[in-house]
Amino acid sequence: MDMDRLAPGIERLIDPHGKLDIVAHGMEFGEGPVWDRRTGTLYWVDIIGNTIWRWKPGVGKEAVMHPTGFANGMTFDREGRLLVCGWSSRNVWRFEQDGGIKILAERCGGKKFNSPNDIVVRSDGFIYFTDSAGGLVNIGMVAPGTDIQRQAEVQGVYRLSPDAAEVTLVTGAIGYPNGLAFSPDEKLLYVNDTRVNKLYVHDVRPDGSLGETREWCQLQGSEPGGADGMKVDSEGNVWTTGPGGIHILSPDAKLLGRIRFPAHVSNLCWGDADWKTLFITDHHNLYRTRVNIPGVAVW
Amino acid sequence: MAWKFEKVAGPYKGATGGLAWDGKSMYFTAVDEDLLLRFDPKSGSTQTWRRWTYRTNGLAMGPGGAFYGGQEGGRRVVQFLPDGITTPTALQLDGRFHNFPCDLAVDTRGRVWFSDPYNPVPAFGPQMYPLLPHQSVLRMTNNRGWSLERMTFDTHGPRALAFSPDEATLYVADGDTSAAMRELRAYPVMTDGTLGPYRLLQSFGADHRGAQRGIEGICIDSEGNLIACAGWRKSGPGPLIYVFSPSGAVLETHPAPCELPMRIAFGDAELSSLYLTAGDGCLYRASDIGRRGVRSVR
Repeated sequence: MDMDRLAPGIERLIDPHGKLDIVAHGMEFGEGPVWDRRTGTLYWVDIIGNTIWRWKPGVGKEAVMHPTGFANGMTFDREGRLLVCGWSSRNVWRFEQDGGIKILAERCGGKKFNSPNDIVVRSDGFIYFTDSAGGLVNIGMVAPGTDIQRQAEVQGVYRLSPDAAEVTLVTGAIGYPNGLAFSPDEKLLYVNDTRVNKLYVHDVRPDGSLGETREWCQLQGSEPGGADGMKVDSEGNVWTTGPGGIHILSPDAKLLGRIRFPAHVSNLCWGDADWKTLFITDHHNLYRTRVNIPGVAVW
Repeated sequence: MAWKFEKVAGPYKGATGGLAWDGKSMYFTAVDEDLLLRFDPKSGSTQTWRRWTYRTNGLAMGPGGAFYGGQEGGRRVVQFLPDGITTPTALQLDGRFHNFPCDLAVDTRGRVWFSDPYNPVPAFGPQMYPLLPHQSVLRMTNNRGWSLERMTFDTHGPRALAFSPDEATLYVADGDTSAAMRELRAYPVMTDGTLGPYRLLQSFGADHRGAQRGIEGICIDSEGNLIACAGWRKSGPGPLIYVFSPSGAVLETHPAPCELPMRIAFGDAELSSLYLTAGDGCLYRASDIGRRGVRSVR
């Protein structure tokens, strides 16, 4: 692993000389990694390959679904159902326990979503997702016959009630919202913006609504890559993709280090039973490395 | 007869681009503002018809009211449906994503011909797909799904294109200012649908001031002459509207009302007015020009 150590203490979070494995490859645009703790399986997507994949240590990878409507970000809800951002299908959907598919939401205020991008679930079951518009225009990410006409005034962050009955715009103040993650105590919601490589933070009110959108960090670097996938570890450090790889930021927005990647890194998640394995997607590969402190558990 | 252009809409930020007349209104694009607009000559008002067009430039209408746009930001031709939906069409030529659709012309069989040059502004999103190794005129056919064919094999960067009234000739303005030469070419459409060897109608060179800009927009009048908007102040004779005979003789020139004229099209009752878009972000119109357009394919 190639790492920039930019502040003392980074070694406590991750071994800069740790091993970085490629555990799967051959994707056209890897994204959406999420760990299923029940089965010890990593799920992720190939957006352009239009496939949801899973990989189990010692077993290997297999396709779960193809085509997917160019699925993007994924996570699990509080009942262990896989939630999926329909990047080209312009909706949020989930796998039911019986393997069926249920569309949870496709509009807010009568207007179609742009292209749901990434997704996170709070411990109360409320689902938050970003709705940037890249899926309407990015080359190779649109299914034939898709309606690519944008309707929504903003590229928003939305909240979906656990029963999917209510969709609420929680902020429309971010230009191109993409990755999103709660602080460990769920009192903060971080959202990054791909276009300007910035991270924003919001206070989360007890009712799940958000306070004002505050700029939290400007990512630095001219290397390939940008603000895309983002997760928070159990100590509140923010791990986000950015120029040159994965930027690790302390809870007070200090850049501690960067895991360097030569290619555009798209997303990350924690996995394994101790939540101390970091899985990383770039366009073509799924990587794995160990870290010293656990990430925030999913579900 | 001097042509008098009046500004009827704008300015918008950045250039205005493609034009399409549907019999009642003139549609035009404000490329950088991501707008497709509709000018109503009866009221003189302009309304937004589509937002978020992602740098759609060229426009064309085809049989049955089919309405297409060259979406430079998505490197694809899109179709605008009357119910508000926009859909992508063919995306790949022989398995590779094509370049930036610039100008479009639809033939009576509903096939969409478009110029596919490079563009200095990258498409939106990750730059994952290289451009084609050539800049050509492509043709899109819908036969239970869209497919693409390459139609020119000798263009350097086609810009504008238009059919003769009998569709036996495809006129192509080739080359931007980075090319060695900018040319107005007449390609015969062969009976098998391919293009034959072109006739050179006009060329635009360079001098110590730089390259002449060449032609950016073409439309055809009822006599089969070409009305072409071309030029800039930097070099050559300045921004002009040319009238070429089908053989390439320059019949008339008229000063363009603006720098960087972009596209030109007939509109209004009896197709008696000329509309012009421009680098200054305006829409211009000249009436009483002594020429009329040919009925477009609808």
